[in-house]
Amino acid sequence: MSDKQYRHIGKSSDRVESLEKVTGQAIYTVDLELPGMLYAKCLYSPYARAEIISLDVSEAKALPGVKAVLIGDDIPYLVGIYMVDKRILARGIVRYQGEPVVAVAAIDEKTAELAVSKIKIEYKKLPSIQTLDEALEGKILVHEDINELEYCKGVFFPQPDSNIASWNKMIKGDIKKGFAEADIIVENVLTLPAVAHVPMETHVAIAQADTYTNKIKIWSSTQSPFAIRKLLAKALNISTADVQVIVPYVGGGFGGKAGIHLEPLVAVLSRACNGRPVKLIATREEEFNQLPTRAGMRGHVKTGVKRDGKITATEIYYDWDSGAYADYGVNVGKSATYSGAGAYEIPNIELHSRTLYTNKVFSTAYRGFGHLETHWVMERQMDMVAQKLGMDPYEFRMKNILRSGCHTISGELINENSGRPEDCLAAVAKEIGWTGYQSEEERKSNSKAGKLRGKGLACLQKAPAMPPHTSTSAIMQMDDDGNIRIMLGVVDIGQGANTVMAQIAAEVLDMPMEKVKVMWDNDTDHHPYDWSTVASKYTFMGGNAVKKCALNMLQQMKEMAAQVLRTSVEDLTHGDEYIYHIHHKQRRIKYKDLALGYAYESGNGIGGPLIAKGTYMANGLTFLDPVTGQGLPALDWTFGAHGVELEVDIETGDIEIIKIASAFDIGQAINRKLVEGQIMGGVLQGIGSAIIEGYKFSPEGRLMNPSFTDNKIPTAKDIPMEIVPILIENPQPDGPFGARGIGEHPMISVPSAIGNALYDALGINFYKLPLSPENVALAIERQQ
Amino acid sequence: MLSKFDYVKPQLLTEALNYLEQNSDTKILAGGTDLMVILRHNAAMPKHILDIKDIPETNRLEYTINEGLFIGACVTVNKVAESKLILEKYPALVQAANSLACYQLRNRATLVGNICNASPGADFAGPLMVYDAKVHIENAKGRRTIDINLFFTGVKKTVLKDNELVIGVSIPNVTEGDTSIFLKQARIKGHDLGIVGVAARLTADKKVKLAMTAVAPTPIRIVKLEETLSSQPLTREIATAASKEICNIIRPISDVRSSAEYRLHVSGVLVKRALLHLSSMGGK
Amino acid sequence: MCENHNNKVNCFVHVDSGLQPVPLKCIVNGEQVCTYIDPTMTLLNFLRRELKLFGSKEGCGEGECGACTIIMNRVAVNSCIVLALEAMDANIITVEGLNISGKLSILQREFISHDALQCGFCTPGMLMSARALLDRNPDPDEKEIKEAIAGNFCRCTGYFPIITAITSAAKLEREEMKNE
Repeated sequence: MSDKQYRHIGKSSDRVESLEKVTGQAIYTVDLELPGMLYAKCLYSPYARAEIISLDVSEAKALPGVKAVLIGDDIPYLVGIYMVDKRILARGIVRYQGEPVVAVAAIDEKTAELAVSKIKIEYKKLPSIQTLDEALEGKILVHEDINELEYCKGVFFPQPDSNIASWNKMIKGDIKKGFAEADIIVENVLTLPAVAHVPMETHVAIAQADTYTNKIKIWSSTQSPFAIRKLLAKALNISTADVQVIVPYVGGGFGGKAGIHLEPLVAVLSRACNGRPVKLIATREEEFNQLPTRAGMRGHVKTGVKRDGKITATEIYYDWDSGAYADYGVNVGKSATYSGAGAYEIPNIELHSRTLYTNKVFSTAYRGFGHLETHWVMERQMDMVAQKLGMDPYEFRMKNILRSGCHTISGELINENSGRPEDCLAAVAKEIGWTGYQSEEERKSNSKAGKLRGKGLACLQKAPAMPPHTSTSAIMQMDDDGNIRIMLGVVDIGQGANTVMAQIAAEVLDMPMEKVKVMWDNDTDHHPYDWSTVASKYTFMGGNAVKKCALNMLQQMKEMAAQVLRTSVEDLTHGDEYIYHIHHKQRRIKYKDLALGYAYESGNGIGGPLIAKGTYMANGLTFLDPVTGQGLPALDWTFGAHGVELEVDIETGDIEIIKIASAFDIGQAINRKLVEGQIMGGVLQGIGSAIIEGYKFSPEGRLMNPSFTDNKIPTAKDIPMEIVPILIENPQPDGPFGARGIGEHPMISVPSAIGNALYDALGINFYKLPLSPENVALAIERQQ
Repeated sequence: MLSKFDYVKPQLLTEALNYLEQNSDTKILAGGTDLMVILRHNAAMPKHILDIKDIPETNRLEYTINEGLFIGACVTVNKVAESKLILEKYPALVQAANSLACYQLRNRATLVGNICNASPGADFAGPLMVYDAKVHIENAKGRRTIDINLFFTGVKKTVLKDNELVIGVSIPNVTEGDTSIFLKQARIKGHDLGIVGVAARLTADKKVKLAMTAVAPTPIRIVKLEETLSSQPLTREIATAASKEICNIIRPISDVRSSAEYRLHVSGVLVKRALLHLSSMGGK
Repeated sequence: MCENHNNKVNCFVHVDSGLQPVPLKCIVNGEQVCTYIDPTMTLLNFLRRELKLFGSKEGCGEGECGACTIIMNRVAVNSCIVLALEAMDANIITVEGLNISGKLSILQREFISHDALQCGFCTPGMLMSARALLDRNPDPDEKEIKEAIAGNFCRCTGYFPIITAITSAAKLEREEMKNE
C-alpha cells in the first residue's frame, strides 16, 4: 500500500460526464439525426444453414421512399479482425439463423420495414452443424472455403478442411511424466452456454459515403474506432485516409462493440444511396439474434496431484462454439492457452484450445475474453480435486497459487510486484468466515426451513489479451486561461476512462480537475491512436501515456520558464498551476502565461503554444511460440478472488446470495468509486452468467430466446444481499502510480465460486451453467 | 409495426359497442401492454384500435357486501395491487398483481387485459378461478356473463367473439375466515413470466379451491384434488400427498422456459406450500 | 400506391405509415404541445423524433427494460408501448423536466455523487422510476426501492449505487421539505 499523499490519485472524483448523463443531454449514436439521413432494415435467414435458391427484391425496390436494396452479390467483401471470414450480407449460402441476407435503406423505418416484408426469397434447407462434436467430426463444413480464408499467420492455426478455425496449444514440461508422478488423477468435463452482452444501447452505426471519392464517414456505438478504420478500408479496398470514425457517447459495450460489426453494411448502403447518410439501429431482437455473443464452451480437464496437494500435471481441452464466424472468436480461443489453467504454478501442462465453427449465432469478444469460461472449468476443478484429496479447497489453492518466484504456464516469472493472488484469496476467505467444507452434521444444523447454506471460494487472473506491441497515445493542449484539453484514442463506454485520465493528468500537473478536460466524441481524424477499448489495459497503458504527456507539457513549460525566470530547467519545479524556482519561490510564472508561448514587454516572443504528446508501447512482450505456447504475452496481471455465501431453497432450486466478497490486487486505485463500480457491476454480470443467462437453440439451430421475455439479465431484485469489494494495493512498478486494470476481472470466477458454494451447501457438484432454479432443483431431486 | 389503423377513443359504452359491431378488424386497447408487443411483431395488423379507457363502466373498482368486488376492464394491475380491501378479502389477487411484470408496466396493464390475452400462464387467471369470478361481456346486441372457469378455450383463446367487449369481472363477496394464496415460480427474482402458478383458496366453510397456470394449454381448476382436500382436515400429510398427486393430474410441456420435469417438480412444491399456508391461516 | 393519383402512380414521398396525421395535444415538461402526428407513432418516438427530447431511450421496444420510462399523469410508464395518441391531454415529464429552474435536482445530484451510472443509457429511465417512487412514497425502504426500479435494466452498475443514491435523495428531499 502506497503511503504517498496524492491530490487526485486514489480519490473518488465524480465521473466527469455525469451531468450530461443525468440530464438527458448525452447524445448517443442512436440519438443522432443527420440531414438527409435514411434508415436501414435487414431481412434475416430463418434457417441455420440453407442455400438461397431465388431472391426477388423488385417489389421492395419499387416502394416509394426506398433508396437502395442490397443483396450479398452486391457486396462480395469479407471482413474480420483476426480471421477474415465474415460476410457483410449472406451470399449464396446462409450460415446461421439470424444472418442478414438483404438490406434496405429508406426514408423512414416503417418504409424500410414495409420494403423488407415485400422481399421474395426461397431457401433450400440444408443439414447443419449444431454441436461441438458435430463440428469436430467435420462431415459438413460451415466454411467450405476455410483453406482460402485470410488470417493472422503464426498466431492462429485453422485446420484444413475442417470446422476448426484455430487450434492453439500450450505445452510446458512433460505431462506424461507429471501424471506418472501423481498420486491421484481427477478428470472432469464442464460446459457453459453462449450468453449475450446486453448493452442497454444496441449496436448502431451511421455511414455517410461521399459519391465523388472513396471517403466514408462513420458514426458508431463502438469500442474500436481505429480498428473500424483499418478493417473497413481493408474490406472495401480503400485507403485509411478515406475513412473517418466518430464515436458519440456509448451505451455500454462489454466487448460486443469491439471489432467491426454494422459499419461495412451501412457504408455500402450509403454508397448505394448516392452518399446520403444511412443509419442502422439493431432492434433488441437483432441484438440477440444477429449480432455476436460470448462463445459457448466445453472444457475437458485432467489434473494430477500428489497427496500433499501439489499439482504435478494438467491436461486441458477447451472447445469453443464460435458459431458461424470466428473473426474475433479465434483470439478468445488463443488467449485461453496462456491463462486458462488458473492462477497456479503447474510444472507440466498441455492445453489445447480449439475455436470451432457451428451454424449458430457467432461469437466475439466479451468481458473477460474467455476467462469466465476457463475459470468455470478450472476453479470448479480445483474444488473437485480438493474433494478427492480430502483437503480444504482453500489450502489446496494456497499450496499451488502463483507467488513470487513461480512461473506461469507460458513461462513468465512472477515477482513480488506482479500482484498477489494469495492476498486476494486470504482476504475473501476471511470476509466470508471460511473454515473449510461443512460436514454433513454442520449442513443439517445450518439448514432452516427447507434452505441450506454454503460457502465457496474461487481465484482468478487475467492479463490484457492484446498484441505484444500494442500502443496508445495522448495529446494535450493548454488554452490561455490555463485549461488543459486532452485528446485520447480510448472510448469511455461507461468504465470511466476519461475521468481516470483526467485525474492522472491533474495529478502530474498539480491542477484542479475542473481545469483538465478530456475530449469526448472520439474522432479518428482528430484524436490520436489507441488500439481498442478492450482488455482492461487502458488505465495501465493510457495512464502511462497521459502521465508522459503531462510530463512533456511540464518540460515545455519549464524550458520557456527557464528563459523567462533566467534560471535552468533543473532549478525549476511546479505546483498549483505555477512553474517556480525550487528555492526562491517568488520567482514564478503561471502556466497560463506560457500557454500560447511567452511575450516579453518589448514584444519579443519565445516558445510557442503548449502542445504535448505522450505515447506508451507495451514493451518486452512477445508472441507465443506456435508449438509450445511459451512467451511473454502479459502486460500486467490482475489477480483476484471471490468468496460467496449463499442459501439454496432445496425444493425450488432458488439461490439467494447472502454475501459475495470480491478482492482484486489492483496495484493502486486511481479512482476508488469507479473501481468499486466496476466490481459491483462485473460481479452482477457474473451472477447473470452463473444463475440466469444462456442461449437456447432448437435442434435445427433456431434461437429460442431472442428477446428479454426469455433471455433475462439480473434486475435490481436479483442482487446479492451484500457485496464487499476489497481493493488490495501491491503496486505495479511500471503501471501509472502503480495501477493495474480492473474492468473485466470482477466477472471472472463468480460462477465458479457459486458452484463451489453449492457443493458446500448440497454436496452436489455442478458441471453446467446456468445454475438456474431448474438445474439446481432437478440435481437435488436426482440425488435423493 | 406495419399496421395502419384508425385510433378511436369513445366516451360512451354504446359508441364503443356500435363501433365494434361495425368494424370487425378491431383490437381493444386498455393498457396496451400485450397489444403493443403484438403490433410490434406484426402478429396482428388491425385496421382499428378502440381505446376504451374513457368509458366510465370500465373504470369502476367497487366493493359492496351484496355484489362483492367489481373490477372494470381498465382498472390497472397496480390499482388492484395497492388496494387494502382486496388484500384483506382476496389476498391471492394482490399477490398475483404484485408478481405481474414490473412496476411501471403494472401502471398500464389491466387485470381484464391479462385474462383476455389468455396466456396459459396468465397470472390473474388462477386467483379469479378459485374465487369463481364472473366475466361480464357486452356487445351491441346485449350482454352475457360467463364463469371464469369456462372463459378460456385454448392457448390465447377465449369465448369472446369479435364484436364483444369485456366490461369487467366480478367476484362474489367472501366472509370471515376466507383466505387465499398465489404462488409463482419464475427463473429470476425480478419480473418474469411464470413457469408454474398456483392459486389456492380456503373458503369460510373450509372448502379448498385450487387452480394452476402454465401447466396446460389454459389455466385450469384442479377439481379432482379439490374434492379430496375439502373433505378432510388440511394437515401437512394431506398437503404432501396432494403435492405428489398433482403430478398424476397435470401434463405440462417442455418449452424454452422450463422442462416438463421441472414444471412437475415445482408444481408439487408450490401446491404443498400453498396448502400449508392455507392450513396455517385457518385450516383445521 | 397514391390515392391522390387514383392509385395509378407511385408518388415520391411515402411518409412513415402513409396514414393521415391526426392532432395530439398534451403537456410535456410543463410546456403545452400541440401537433399532428402519425397515429401509429409510439409515445417514445413522439418524444424523441417529434419533440427532439432524446433523453428517453429505446432499449427493447417491448416494455421489458425500462429505458423508455417517463412519468405520465403522475405514474411511471414504459413509453415505448404507449401510443402517442393515448397521451392526449396528458401531463408528461421526461428526464429533461427533472431540473429545478435549470438547476440539478437533489435526485440527479445524488446519482452523480454515488456514481449511480456508468454508460448512462439506463439513467434517464432509472431517474424517472425513482422520481415517480419518491413522489408517491417519500420514505421508501430498500425493498420498495428495488420494486420500483426492478423494471429498469442496468448492465453496468450492479444496482447497488443506484439504490444508495435513491435512499440518500429521499432523505435529503425529506429534510428539504421539513425546512420549507
